Amino acid sequence: MQIAETFAVAAPIERVWRFITDPATVAPCVPGCQSYEVLTATSYKATIQIALGPIKTNFNVIVDLTKAEPPTYLASTARGEEGGKASTLTAKSELRLLANGPGATTVSYASEVALVGRLGKFGLGMMKKKAKSIGEEFAVAFRTRVEAETASQGGTAGEVLSADNAQAGA
Amino acid sequence: MKFYQPTTLKQALKVLANEDDARCLAGGATLVAMMNANLLAPSALVSLSAVKGLAGITRRKNGSVTIGAMTRHQAVADTAALDGGQRLVREAAALIGHPAIRNMGTIGGSISHADPAADYPTALVTANATVTIENSRAKREIDAQNFFTGYLETALEPGDIVVAVSIPAGVAGAGSAYEKFARVQGDFATVSAGVVLALEKGVCRHARIAVGGCAATPIRVAAAEAKLVGSRLQDSAVAAAGVLLAAACDPIDDFRGSSEYRLMILPTILARAVSKARVRAETVS
Amino acid sequence: MTTTVPITLTINGALHQAFVQPWHTLLHVLRDVLHFTGTKRGCNQGICGACSVIVDGEVVRGCLSIAANCQGRTITTIEGLANGNTLSNVQQAFLELGAVQCGYCMPGMIIAATALLKRTPKPTEEEIREGLSGNLCRCSGYVKVVRAVQVASERGTS
Repeated sequence: MQIAETFAVAAPIERVWRFITDPATVAPCVPGCQSYEVLTATSYKATIQIALGPIKTNFNVIVDLTKAEPPTYLASTARGEEGGKASTLTAKSELRLLANGPGATTVSYASEVALVGRLGKFGLGMMKKKAKSIGEEFAVAFRTRVEAETASQGGTAGEVLSADNAQAGA
Repeated sequence: MKFYQPTTLKQALKVLANEDDARCLAGGATLVAMMNANLLAPSALVSLSAVKGLAGITRRKNGSVTIGAMTRHQAVADTAALDGGQRLVREAAALIGHPAIRNMGTIGGSISHADPAADYPTALVTANATVTIENSRAKREIDAQNFFTGYLETALEPGDIVVAVSIPAGVAGAGSAYEKFARVQGDFATVSAGVVLALEKGVCRHARIAVGGCAATPIRVAAAEAKLVGSRLQDSAVAAAGVLLAAACDPIDDFRGSSEYRLMILPTILARAVSKARVRAETVS
Repeated sequence: MTTTVPITLTINGALHQAFVQPWHTLLHVLRDVLHFTGTKRGCNQGICGACSVIVDGEVVRGCLSIAANCQGRTITTIEGLANGNTLSNVQQAFLELGAVQCGYCMPGMIIAATALLKRTPKPTEEEIREGLSGNLCRCSGYVKVVRAVQVASERGTS
């Protein structure tokens, strides 16, 4: 199934890029993320809890960053398994950032997700809606965190901005 | 996995309060299918089959009808107690699954599972039913409309049991209908619609509509109902109501139909339900 | 901790006992514990109807019935319909009309038809189709099945 989402964040693109590529800042925004571990510079491991009605389960997911073009493009693959390998989840995702003026960024991502095993047999239509609502929750959490930090570190954001302007002027 | 066979509601509620991740076993039509598919493995099953007082249909003096949570679909389909504006609940029960499923499945189990394509949720929201919930500490009532909160999600908290569903007498002289479109007999609804209407000299003076299979929960739209009230239920008014309802829906895509397809047939299914309910309301008044 | 539940069932008129686990279905106990293998396991999801049995006079899904919840109940399986070598009316009609193709769905079909005729002795064709709508035949040979139920109905029940 395909999941795609686009949302706006009131923060400069460099800051959004830094936020979204750092597991320490992005993991808490992922709904159901119980824990994460940095394996290498481009590989992370996370435990994510997923619930659909009475079904509650944990996936152990490994995310590999396959291509990065800072600060606009990031490609990744994810592979997750439930305990006991009852279901397997694989996803290929692309993330794009677009500067929308000096203090605003548009984030868009598209994922192709495949679910195989016991959960793959269950209510795919509902799963897709669930995935969409997880995506929306992520967008809200991410925007809130980035914007909160941007507001509290207004000076820093301003410096980055003026540096950019200086370069552009030079 | 443990197995409990309580004979009183109090015992059942106590077990539920003390067992993490216990599940009530009502008719088993959904729970056991999910267990067989390895989707659920509860720590305990609490069978409600032997609990006294949970099954049965009672019509009160004020015309309201209370259906015990363990009442089988077939018993609801067969009852003479549900009439007028309540009739669509009986009609919905008769369309659930097949004879064997109707002999097993219960109203409490069905609404607790809260599949948006199931028949009871839409019919009960249309009929303005109240769900009675009990846990080891308290008993409470909640409108059907607020009971269903999402895909397979309800207002039930851990430790809660649905004990009954009550359908009010509603508006005097009302007629009602439940219409379902399914790929084959007995399947879950692709789209369904429940309608309660009351007429006065051919003019609609009361309308309540809910549609199922088109969102996470049954959908009601006040403006759609308002399109019918005051009208003579002419095609244009019904079509306008259908458009307003479709605009409020967000159906899933699955093997029963794409999201677009469901939205496309919704006005037709609604029109069929309105037409049936209208004939019944005319017969009553 | 798992509860092992002792149950007693009356199956086709005789008492049977078994020790079951909470997740065991009636279908599992009938087939794999008590060896009433006439009842078939198809989808195990309550959709196909191959596991249909009659419990306390009503047709139900064996695969959706928790065995521990069936304590003390009276069950009729396909093995219980014939009287010695004399087939039931429904069985005889299915046989005579050649309603059977591969045969896998037949125990469920015949049990459902028997329950239907008990509830509605003279069903219309539509009522027959509705009554058997929960029994899938993957050979898709429904025409002769409907005709067989009509013939059994004309001959009266039993």
